[in-house]
Amino acid sequence: MNRIESAFKNKKAFIPFITAGYPNINKTEDFIYKMVSAGADLIEIGIPFSDPVAEGPVIQESSQKALAAGTNLDKIFDLVKKVRKTVNIPLVFMTYVNPVFRYGYDNFFKQCSVTGIDGIIIPDLPFEEKNEISEYAKKYGIKIVSLIAPTSQQRIEDIAKEAEGFLYVVSSMGVTGERNEIKTDLKSIVDSVKKVTSVPTAIGFGIHSPQQANQMSKISDGVIVGSAIIKIIKQHGTDADSYIYDYVKSMKDSMNN
Amino acid sequence: MKIKICGLFREEDIDFVNEAKPDFVGFVFAESHRQVSKETAKKLKNKLDKNILSVGVFVNENINKIAEICDENIIDFVQLHGDEDDKYISDLKKVCNKKIIKAVKVKNGEEIVRWRNSQADLLMFDAGMGEGKTFDWSLLKSFIRPYFLAGGINGNNVEQAIKLNPYCIDISSGVETNKVKDKNKILNIVRRVKMSNTRFGIYGGQYIPETLMNEIKNLEKQYEYYKNNPEFTDELNTLLKNYAGRPSLLYYAENMTKDLGGAKIYLKREDLNHTGSHKINNVLGQVLLAKKMGKTRVIAETGAGQHGVATATAAALLGMECEIFMGEEDTKRQALNVYRMKLLGAKVNAVTSGTKVLKDAVNEAMREWSKRVNDTHYVLGSVMGPHPFPTIVRDFQSVISKEAKQQILEYEKKLPYAVVACVGGGSNAMGMFYNFIEEKNVKLIGCEAAGKGLNTDKHAASIAKGEIGIFHGMKSYFCQDKYGQIAEVYSISAGLDYPGIGPEHAYLHDTGRAEYISITDEEAVSAFEYLARTEGIICAIESAHAVAHVRKIAPKIDKSESIIVCLSGRGDKDVAAIARYRGEEIYE
Repeated sequence: MNRIESAFKNKKAFIPFITAGYPNINKTEDFIYKMVSAGADLIEIGIPFSDPVAEGPVIQESSQKALAAGTNLDKIFDLVKKVRKTVNIPLVFMTYVNPVFRYGYDNFFKQCSVTGIDGIIIPDLPFEEKNEISEYAKKYGIKIVSLIAPTSQQRIEDIAKEAEGFLYVVSSMGVTGERNEIKTDLKSIVDSVKKVTSVPTAIGFGIHSPQQANQMSKISDGVIVGSAIIKIIKQHGTDADSYIYDYVKSMKDSMNN
Repeated sequence: MKIKICGLFREEDIDFVNEAKPDFVGFVFAESHRQVSKETAKKLKNKLDKNILSVGVFVNENINKIAEICDENIIDFVQLHGDEDDKYISDLKKVCNKKIIKAVKVKNGEEIVRWRNSQADLLMFDAGMGEGKTFDWSLLKSFIRPYFLAGGINGNNVEQAIKLNPYCIDISSGVETNKVKDKNKILNIVRRVKMSNTRFGIYGGQYIPETLMNEIKNLEKQYEYYKNNPEFTDELNTLLKNYAGRPSLLYYAENMTKDLGGAKIYLKREDLNHTGSHKINNVLGQVLLAKKMGKTRVIAETGAGQHGVATATAAALLGMECEIFMGEEDTKRQALNVYRMKLLGAKVNAVTSGTKVLKDAVNEAMREWSKRVNDTHYVLGSVMGPHPFPTIVRDFQSVISKEAKQQILEYEKKLPYAVVACVGGGSNAMGMFYNFIEEKNVKLIGCEAAGKGLNTDKHAASIAKGEIGIFHGMKSYFCQDKYGQIAEVYSISAGLDYPGIGPEHAYLHDTGRAEYISITDEEAVSAFEYLARTEGIICAIESAHAVAHVRKIAPKIDKSESIIVCLSGRGDKDVAAIARYRGEEIYE
């Protein structure tokens, strides 16, 4: 069983997101350890990009600050290598296609494999363009996590059929960021996915409260939270460790209820 | 462009196509090593993905036998591959409710003309029947009915076949190994044909979030429909004529020609259009299209404000709600245009994310679109972004070269030596180039912004200094760092201040069909002043980049030749900035 599969095995997965290098790369390392000890089942590490079109203001700002602090892909690979020594849960990159393209697909996925990355999420690489990377991802055993949106409709089946790792179900239209209300009929989306694949689903975009996490975990196999965590870091900066721990723990606990 | 995989006869062939998803597959009912019986075809059809249409191939078959197979819905199309004539086709139509494709074997081209008005729903041109040989494809160059191209197409020549732009590419032996279908060959060729639909060579594509994919596909479909819809084109042409003021003048710049002492210089006066630039050509098309699509709201990005003003204008005219995204920096630099948009009833959002300029305005417009696709169309302002935008914008702008070509032939009785235009995203340049691309002797020259110089980091020259990348929905050239972070670019001209270039330009550059050079701020400002003095025309600082290049090359070109410069916009908006550049503060 690969690491991603075991993250969903007999439990609902809580998946926190963190922007690598925000506020600096050393703190990202500390924050990852905190999230792991608080019960995170899989961690999404964001490779910051100058123009993240799928992100709301919170993650946008964190990306800009991370880049301004000198974060780059080589440093992020070093970070992954370091945390991999002690962290056994799956680590998945979340980024945009250009940084991956410029690094060189072969080189990028090779480094993923060497350092211990399990999968990758690229929001601006839809199903039609997946061939850009699929050959290289396969060669190095990195899972491509695809996204399904509220507007995907007839595309769900095609996307789900080729799904690997897990499927990222986007809760609502627009960009990442907290929402008080999620109106999409997520259950029917997850149901259509389940008809064609056994690959687990995780819902993301807008989730921030333990109540929401609890609610979403009843529909899907996992819950993804990004902006809410970045907001904690924005508020507490380098002292955010314990706040992150408490938050991740409260989210994870809510899903076990 | 569609693709058909013909001659399936084994069950595993169906597995292959179900995975590759071509648009059509063919079952051969005529004598052949690929022949299938009705029973086999029925079994295969049941196994076939319901989104793939099946075509039955017959040679001089009894009409009733075909009707029987059609009645059982084993096939969705009938393909006649023998000596059937139009009488046969009309008889068949009486007993069969499926669409008919008539395959025509091409020998010397006479057949293509003869079958032009056939009763068949679609025509197919083939060299023979499944022997894997090709015919002279150039015979089809001016054929206008949609057709299937067949005969000897394989992995080595499929790109050439794609260039002919047939309705559908038909492949049989080209995806076989040892006379049976080869899964990898099928996957490969279907992917290449499908990818070509969204690309110019390797450039273009649809690199956008899943949230927008269905809407982009919908736009693609609707545009394909409306671009050939006479009601739509009539309405658009009427607006271009009566509202925008087209055709625009092709003005012979006599003073400039005399002064430079070389080729005759003509200015294509897009600055005289309503709203003062070429942008109106595209926005009238897109806003009208949006309206036909049932949208009630349009959004757009803008740099200097030209595209924003044009979009707000079209929205006011056509009764659409309008919101413009403009970098905060640009709203300060172009306050007059902000107020203009407000006067036109648009809401202007100052974008404070990222570097607060044009690229950030595009990001924000895309984010906004992904929130509200149902009632909103994103009027992209240049030949950039995900497919189909580069094609849509180019088509709407191609009116520039369509007119210019007629006008220059009228004045000079021959084609120009070169056409020259400034390039940011590249919409006026694509419009100026488009109808000259096939005229191989006409040079196409695009002028990028070199800002304070290519040896500084203050420029916006994506071709001269950029690298291939994937951004804003497309693969193209972008100014970026070694980690793929998009660079902050600079030009005195806000309209050229964009870190990328449209994918068709990237393709024209790589294939050597067009040449891209760079012009500094200083050269552009001096050309701006020069044109004002010599011709009494104050052009946009963007267009002045093209004028600057013509000043360099015209003296070296023979007097019997001509050069057309696209004067993409008028310069009122730039007057204050030019004054500042020359050290003079002016107040309104």
